[in-house]
Amino acid sequence: MERRLVIKQVLIMAGGLALLPSCLREQGKSTILLKNLDISLDQENLMADIAETIIPRTNTPGAKQLKLHLFALKMVDECYEKADQELFVKGLTAFQDQAQDLFSKSFGKLSLHQRESMLAKLENSTSPEQSGFYKIMKEKTIDGFLNSKYVMTNLIIYELVPGRYNGYFPVKTA
Amino acid sequence: MSNLNIDAAKANTFDVIVIGSGISGGWAAKEFTEKGFKTLVLERGRDVQHIKDYPTTNKFPYEFEHLGEPALAIKKENPIVSRCYAFKEDAMHFMVKDKEHPYVQEKPFDWIRGYQVGGKSLLWARQTQRWSDFDFEGPARDDFAVDWPIRYKDIAPWYSYVEKFAGIAGHRDGLAELPDGEFLPGFPLNAAEDYFKGVIKNKYPARHVISARCAHLSKPNQIHLDQGRAKCQNRILCQRGCPFGGYFSSNASTLPWAAKTGNLTLRPFSVVESVIYDDAKGKVTGVRVADTNTKEVTEYYARIVFINAGALNTNLILLNSKSKRFPRGLGNDSGVLGKYVAFHNYSARISAEYDGLKQYATDGRNPAGGGYIPRFRNLLKQEMNFKRGYAAGIYGSRYMERDRSGIGGSLKDNLLHGKLSPWIIGSHMMGETIPKESNFVSLSASEKDAWGVPLLNISVAYDENDALMKADYIGQMTEMFTEAGFKNITPNVSSQSPGLDIHEMGGARMGRDPKTSVLNEWNQLHTCPNVFVTDGACMTSTSTQNPSLTYMAFTARSVDYAVKAMNRREI
Repeated sequence: MERRLVIKQVLIMAGGLALLPSCLREQGKSTILLKNLDISLDQENLMADIAETIIPRTNTPGAKQLKLHLFALKMVDECYEKADQELFVKGLTAFQDQAQDLFSKSFGKLSLHQRESMLAKLENSTSPEQSGFYKIMKEKTIDGFLNSKYVMTNLIIYELVPGRYNGYFPVKTA
Repeated sequence: MSNLNIDAAKANTFDVIVIGSGISGGWAAKEFTEKGFKTLVLERGRDVQHIKDYPTTNKFPYEFEHLGEPALAIKKENPIVSRCYAFKEDAMHFMVKDKEHPYVQEKPFDWIRGYQVGGKSLLWARQTQRWSDFDFEGPARDDFAVDWPIRYKDIAPWYSYVEKFAGIAGHRDGLAELPDGEFLPGFPLNAAEDYFKGVIKNKYPARHVISARCAHLSKPNQIHLDQGRAKCQNRILCQRGCPFGGYFSSNASTLPWAAKTGNLTLRPFSVVESVIYDDAKGKVTGVRVADTNTKEVTEYYARIVFINAGALNTNLILLNSKSKRFPRGLGNDSGVLGKYVAFHNYSARISAEYDGLKQYATDGRNPAGGGYIPRFRNLLKQEMNFKRGYAAGIYGSRYMERDRSGIGGSLKDNLLHGKLSPWIIGSHMMGETIPKESNFVSLSASEKDAWGVPLLNISVAYDENDALMKADYIGQMTEMFTEAGFKNITPNVSSQSPGLDIHEMGGARMGRDPKTSVLNEWNQLHTCPNVFVTDGACMTSTSTQNPSLTYMAFTARSVDYAVKAMNRREI
């Protein structure tokens, strides 16, 4: 029981998924345990800012609060081919530099408008790294959001036990 | 010393041994134990107890490590089982990993297995359509395989018998090609499926769309409640194991029922190396078992052995049971054993959109999965340039389209407020393949598994008949979809290997003549009467129906026969 409690306290909840913290707690490294990727804390924070720009806090929680960037990181780390992982990290690194080059500030310190315009540029980027990175980042942020515990229990309710089937459920046609 | 041996032999002696605890083995266990026979059920995998051993059954999507998708490392380590639709984080613990149990693919064959108590009955698609004489008379009429030694009238009462206990939801459709059974209330077709049914009824009087019959408790009877099962709750998470016992599995139904009699001994972690034939006695006396974990070999004895190891593994056991009398494998005087393996062709699908009926969607989930089109090709007579035909699944659904363009507040808003798609209509084919001598399994001459059992060579492939049938399915579905006014008709023809249908059958086929078949009309070895095979290995032909219900009926019928034969001291 005690062991369970301890584990529960150290797990990081991302979306609804329990993630293991990185064991070493190495200074400047990602906060979650990664099997394949080498991501710095700065890069992880940058991912958090990008995710928050994609899904911001409104009257409901945004990506940062739901830790969707950690969900995205876990998915890239464990569900993608090595080539895609490399592309992702390259794209992320290049994007990190770009914010500095353009504004002499880190992405997180930019205004909402600046952040949104940077992402809009990414969306249309012809660089395979940048567009590859952004495509995965956005897709996983959205997947994580729609499948998060918060959304599934508060906004788009997932029913584990529907107990019914109606093949003629009336809906508005408009 | 000799006394000790006698005691040990006594402790290992039962009335009946059943090899395998899947859908047919579970039935053999239930029938024998209910009739008072001490029954040993051997299962090569671990125990899986109803509810207690369903670790994912109540998980929400976000509780799976990767939203259900197996990690890439797992997929790469398991290319074969990863191709199976059910190999997801919620059920992959019920499926054999490639490296654990290798086999030899003389031709590409995706052998999907579930080695645990309950076998694949935990994972099956729960479709339960009866055969008719259009199926049993197929080989004789169309000149392939050998004639089935039975007809519909022989098995009809046993279909009824197993349906009442298992619980089958269906409608009485009155079709000769798909006989009605003992049904609990059927699940309804939805608006789009009903519409398609109407179109087909008008334009193709000989074709029918019905609600698929399935092993779900739509309205349980007392016999189901007595099993500790409850009404199906429309979760459609069946592959995880159902905490309600809403669908039929060995774990929820036959095995606990057998255990309650006090006559069941279930031994998990038991790899059957071979069946023991006593040349002096002229019969089988038991089986030789290697413990899965310790590899220690033990012999168990019984008057009767039922082999229900799963079609291809049943072939493996028979082939590996060699004696002076049967040097080529038990019951294999004819040399037919292992040959004439067939399967179902599930390699084509088709989808389309329908713009009408937008005033309706679906709410909740349908355990039946939707509609079913029984075989109509070559039904009354041979009329095509290919033999036999196909059944088809047909299902309509509308999903929430969520606009993923843009970023920020508007994206979030779009994601949370989806728009219902038009009706999406889908179908898949279930084709009959023709058993051939050249589709066979055999023992590897050189390679053995961790328990010293030869690996199984599998040499099974599609043929020209399958290709012609597949093209006809796509052609006919396209035509029917067009008649229904469906748009964006998109065929999806897969080049998947056999095996992925998980309906491998044959190898120890039934027939009248011991020279051309392995089993007689009672699923009994022609040449070794105290051994029975009632799983997929017994199938003379495959027809198009999902086979499990037929295995259940064969098993109950066969046990009834065996018990009567024992009482008459014939075996």
